[in-house]
Amino acid sequence: MKKISLFFTLLAGFGFAQDVTETFNSTRIVNSHSTETLSDRQWEYRIEHRFGDMLGVGGGAQTAFGFDQAADIRMGFEHGLTDKWMIGMARLKGVGRPYRSILQGSTKYRILTQNKEKNIPFSLAVLGEMYYTYMTASTDSLSVAFFPKLEHRLSYASQLIFTRKMGERLSLGLMPTFVHRNYVDSNDVNSLFAVGGALNYKVTKNFGLLLEYFYNVEPGGEFRPNATNSFGLGFEFQTNGHSFHINLTNSRGFGAMQYVALTQEQWSLGQFRLGFSISRTFKIRRK
Amino acid sequence: MRFYSLFILLVGILGIYTLDSSRGKLESIDEVNEITLESLIQELGGKLPQHAMDDFDPKKAELGEQLVLTGQAKKGLFKSKLISPYFTCTDCHNLVNEFSDPRKNDPADRLETAINKNIPFLPGSTLWGVYNRMSWYNGDYVKKYGDLVKKARYSLPEAIQVCAEYCAAGRPLKNWELEAIMHYFKSKELRLKDIALDNNSKLKLANVAELSERERKKMKTVIESSFVRSYPAKFLPTMPREDRKYGEGADAENGREIFNRSCMHCHENGRVTNLHLNRTSLTGQMFVKHLEDYTDESLYQIVRHGTYTMAGRNQYMPLYTKEKMSDEQLESLVAYIKKLAEK
Repeated sequence: MKKISLFFTLLAGFGFAQDVTETFNSTRIVNSHSTETLSDRQWEYRIEHRFGDMLGVGGGAQTAFGFDQAADIRMGFEHGLTDKWMIGMARLKGVGRPYRSILQGSTKYRILTQNKEKNIPFSLAVLGEMYYTYMTASTDSLSVAFFPKLEHRLSYASQLIFTRKMGERLSLGLMPTFVHRNYVDSNDVNSLFAVGGALNYKVTKNFGLLLEYFYNVEPGGEFRPNATNSFGLGFEFQTNGHSFHINLTNSRGFGAMQYVALTQEQWSLGQFRLGFSISRTFKIRRK
Repeated sequence: MRFYSLFILLVGILGIYTLDSSRGKLESIDEVNEITLESLIQELGGKLPQHAMDDFDPKKAELGEQLVLTGQAKKGLFKSKLISPYFTCTDCHNLVNEFSDPRKNDPADRLETAINKNIPFLPGSTLWGVYNRMSWYNGDYVKKYGDLVKKARYSLPEAIQVCAEYCAAGRPLKNWELEAIMHYFKSKELRLKDIALDNNSKLKLANVAELSERERKKMKTVIESSFVRSYPAKFLPTMPREDRKYGEGADAENGREIFNRSCMHCHENGRVTNLHLNRTSLTGQMFVKHLEDYTDESLYQIVRHGTYTMAGRNQYMPLYTKEKMSDEQLESLVAYIKKLAEK
């Protein structure tokens, strides 16, 4: 009976009479965005890194457990236009399978903020991302990187992010995601749908544990035979203005276009990697 | 010659008569209450601050109010450049009387008044009556601002400039901005209604010229001591560990009021700073963990020292002097934080 009561208490959430804040500690979970947005007039500089495979064929002591390799590197600026709307621009190294040298633009708007008084049981944000690769085109006309037209260099991702703070410490997230690439291999599909789930458990105010999983709705048949689902876990800690994330994930690249559509690694084969994100927030001007 | 002497004497008498009746006859207490303390002090032969102004322009005062409240003012078609991107005056200063009696400067009374009036409990002195003060950045502020205090201590315009450029991490004010703020402060100058004085004495003050020399001297002392003309400032060191009571026996309810009216004034949803605070046990635990320390994370240290601006992070926390938060109140804050942590 006690267990049932606890379950319903969690389901109903605690008494958040005002807009719920800090559902997640930062704008990111592991790979995915959270419903958090930068506040009005706030800037953030993010440096993110994913190393090579820790174990398996490409990992182990020979590569210092992946430290010798860089699967992907992302550097970007983000800015809060209002308390609910943020935009960002970044440069990604790209996982190289098939894209390298990627420019990424993003915009995120928080439509709903969890609030018990207003009977809003969850927060909801919508995210749009656009990618452009400026890598040198391949001379092989059968390669995806041949890019016959300029628009073939473009891809897109959009995401609905639902989050709910269940109590002071526990928050959950659900992220239906749509990815579209304008130009893909013959055994791939242009449009892909995935559903992500996430969990954040705050151990202290500034230290939290994170879990994130994306399930791809694969087309089946001969399409995308090597595709796997992205799974990541990690922790985050914050200081006054800085946010640090350390994580382990099987996906190599940043951005939904890469971690949803291009993940092929398997945890069971040791193909997971260490990653980190460091963000520095600046308030150029107060609210 | 005699005729001219007589003429000059007559003109002189008429002049004195004209000066004496310049205010007109005030009879109702409401009218008398509106007499400014500045004019009374002048008439009683007291000393006025250097910045005493003869004129008052309500339009300039309106611009000044905008500058004080928002850090910028709409002059013509456009808004002026922000004085500081990080702070406005009201982040650290209230605009109303912070005490039950303007003669008082007691932190306990200040907190009680803040609760009664539902106003913040801030590290800076109120701007209400700032026009009537004689000095600023008193006492230990020299420890923080050094030579800057020299020129600001006895000049309100200089004190405003120091506040804009250094305390608010902003820029020097333009002449029109400084003038506008001065006019706004003049609009908030103290009047007879603001001080604790009986109606009979007030009615007497309506006609200073009719007072005897003895009465004038007495009233001058009464008026000059009817409000704080210079707020003292004593910087306290971080309380030594052996003196800390860690909230033992302190009033947690007062602590809750201090948390809400001081800490949350800037930290709620990261309004002024990057450090977000809320009323959850996680926030309480974050502070409790460091109570014994001598670092910025310890309430005993941060309240007494504040922080400084640094590259990329110009928002800083001002310190609370002994007069703005007593050690007893600090213990109350600790008692509340400990309660919050156990929630």
